[in-house]
Amino acid sequence: MLKVENLSISFQTDEGMITPVQNVSFAVQAGRTLGIVGESGSGKSVSTKALMKLLPGNSRVSDEARMTYTDKAGREVRIDQLRPKGRDIRRLRGGEIGMIFQEPMASFSPVYTIGNQMIEAIRLHQKVTKKEARAQAIAMLDKVGISNPVGRVDQYPHEMSGGMRQRAMIALALAARPALLIADEPTTALDVTIQAQVLELMADLQRDLGMGMIFITHDLGVIAQVAQDVAVMYLGTIVESGPTADVIRNPRHPYTQGLLKAIPSLDALHDRLSPVPGDIPSPNERPTGCPFHTRCSQRLQGLCDQQLPPTVPLGPNRSVACWLETPEHRTGAEVDAQQQIKQQEPAQ
Amino acid sequence: MLRFTLERLIGMVITMALVSVMVFLIMEIPPGDYADRYAFRKYSGTGVNVTEADIQAIRADLGLDKPMMLRYFDWIGGIVLRGDFGQAFAFETSVVKVIGDKGWLTLGILFATLLVTYLVSIPVGIFAAVRRASAMDYGLTIFSYLGLALPNFLLALVLLYFANRWFGADIGGLFSDQYADAPWSLAKVWDMIKHLWLPAVVLAWSAVAYQIQTVRATMSDELNKLSVTVARARGVPETKLLIKYPARLAINPIVSTIGFDVNRIFSELPIVAVVLGLTELGELLLRAYLDLDMYVAGAILLLLTFTIVFMNFVSDLLLAWLDPRIKLGA
Ligand SMILES: Nc1ncnc2c1ncn2[C@@H]1O[C@H](COP(=O)(O)OP(=O)(O)OP(=O)(O)O)[C@@H](O)[C@H]1O
Ligand SMILES: [Mg+2]
Repeated sequence: MLKVENLSISFQTDEGMITPVQNVSFAVQAGRTLGIVGESGSGKSVSTKALMKLLPGNSRVSDEARMTYTDKAGREVRIDQLRPKGRDIRRLRGGEIGMIFQEPMASFSPVYTIGNQMIEAIRLHQKVTKKEARAQAIAMLDKVGISNPVGRVDQYPHEMSGGMRQRAMIALALAARPALLIADEPTTALDVTIQAQVLELMADLQRDLGMGMIFITHDLGVIAQVAQDVAVMYLGTIVESGPTADVIRNPRHPYTQGLLKAIPSLDALHDRLSPVPGDIPSPNERPTGCPFHTRCSQRLQGLCDQQLPPTVPLGPNRSVACWLETPEHRTGAEVDAQQQIKQQEPAQ
Repeated sequence: MLRFTLERLIGMVITMALVSVMVFLIMEIPPGDYADRYAFRKYSGTGVNVTEADIQAIRADLGLDKPMMLRYFDWIGGIVLRGDFGQAFAFETSVVKVIGDKGWLTLGILFATLLVTYLVSIPVGIFAAVRRASAMDYGLTIFSYLGLALPNFLLALVLLYFANRWFGADIGGLFSDQYADAPWSLAKVWDMIKHLWLPAVVLAWSAVAYQIQTVRATMSDELNKLSVTVARARGVPETKLLIKYPARLAINPIVSTIGFDVNRIFSELPIVAVVLGLTELGELLLRAYLDLDMYVAGAILLLLTFTIVFMNFVSDLLLAWLDPRIKLGA
């Protein structure tokens, strides 16, 4: 239902031009969840904001980028060609693509009730009376597991607890019945027990409503719970992607391998390791070659630090961007051995 | 909201009561009273020998011989119960008559000034924030520095000169000659508006310059709020979005300083009035105070302070309406 190809995003900043997203491609199937995982600053939020044309004025999306969305009526919409303040993108926002943000408190305007903001969303996309919209809003609050929705609908955001607010935020994003939901770290701000509840809720809702979903997180463990597909992002590029089960069982990129090792097991809980050794380079000083080579224990000197690795297909919907996986190096040891044999044969 | 309004209303009444006591005490501070002054005026140079008993008689005549407490309650009781502000001794008539039109003029200028200030600074400040770093934005910044640097009376002189040249009319004063003593009518109100704009613009000038920057700053902050992005992400059209979300909160600092604006306008008005030839209350207050004409001075002080207290009350209500967290937290 959504296909993104060659998306690059740059920002004009005081320190010059930075390009925190480079040549990113991914797709979301209807009714499935794509998880995007990566450390802070890897460009997850920026990429999804580009889908909604919500990037700030100092940003630029590359000309080669193609973002194709198939709407509820089955028509293809080229999002990259829409004007950012036009009617067409407004039709998509909320009505076709819903978005949930990291901070539930800041997501609501503090001066309007939850209901006011939900009814606004509903009436922007459906021709219904205020009363009908209100009934829909109450039904949606009920659906996300808020008790006493009739009373809650007239409450202000600050009258709710953190977990309840995030549920309300989900209800708000779903109010106008989008076909695709983008959830940008919807559980990071919540404490652990509530995180689990919200995750479960989102998985249920996605199934019930048959939505496509993009789920952004730092945590591969969370991805395993909610997403059928996963894309691993590092410094603005997708380093590995594929069906979640495959990727987790058989990670091919050294970065993915590092992330998986860092999922806290019980004995590692007391020292919350940074996922992968080393620091993320700042966006102003992107490494040449493979962006991960500065932290990679398996890097090939003279190659990884010089040239960007190609994206190597590993199967249907599965690929990795790593020199180690290219045909020449993948079986590097075997190749060496065969060459030795070939050299020896004539001598015999 | 009803409960909140009631609470603030009670607060306002209490404040006004305290203020009235203070005003009364201020009236009492200057040594002597109008009885002395009257005797001096009437008999000095005439050779008549005025005895203490004569003055005492005058004092009793004017009702100034009663104890202070009693006089306070007489005074405030008359105001509250009968709208009677007492005697204007020097004018030998009632205070209400003396203040009359001058009071209305002062209030008229006050509200016209507030109106000009807010009608200009709010939309312009919002616009500057939305178009940050545009030519318009820079132009406004320069205007703001100018507005703050220019003394009011100078601006008044300049505007008066141009108003006279362009409109020819006698723009000084509040009414054209033919309406000055005419009874109130629609035409007279319109005539007043034509005259009010000049003092209003002069007094609003620096406030506009200042408040544009205030609105621009808070609006810029509000525009960056996540809730605005979230509203945009549900498809709210841009203009509606700006008004409903960031602008509503961006005018908060303006609303909360209404009281200060009123205060400032009252203190700047006398100089501007002198330049523009307006007869407002400031000059009268000064004269009444020097004459020890205490009920005139008291009425003027009450009018000014009550207006400030009342506008603070209005500001509180507006703030609570703009941001419901205020009344829920209170
Ligand atoms: N408005 C902006 N101006 C300049 N640079 C920006 C802007 N927004 C984002 N960036 C840059 O883009 C990079 C990626 O930001 P993004 O918010 O997408 O990261 P993220 O992967 O969502 O991280 P997190 O997990 O912390 O949310 C940041 O490192 C930052 O340098
Ligand atoms: Mg983010």
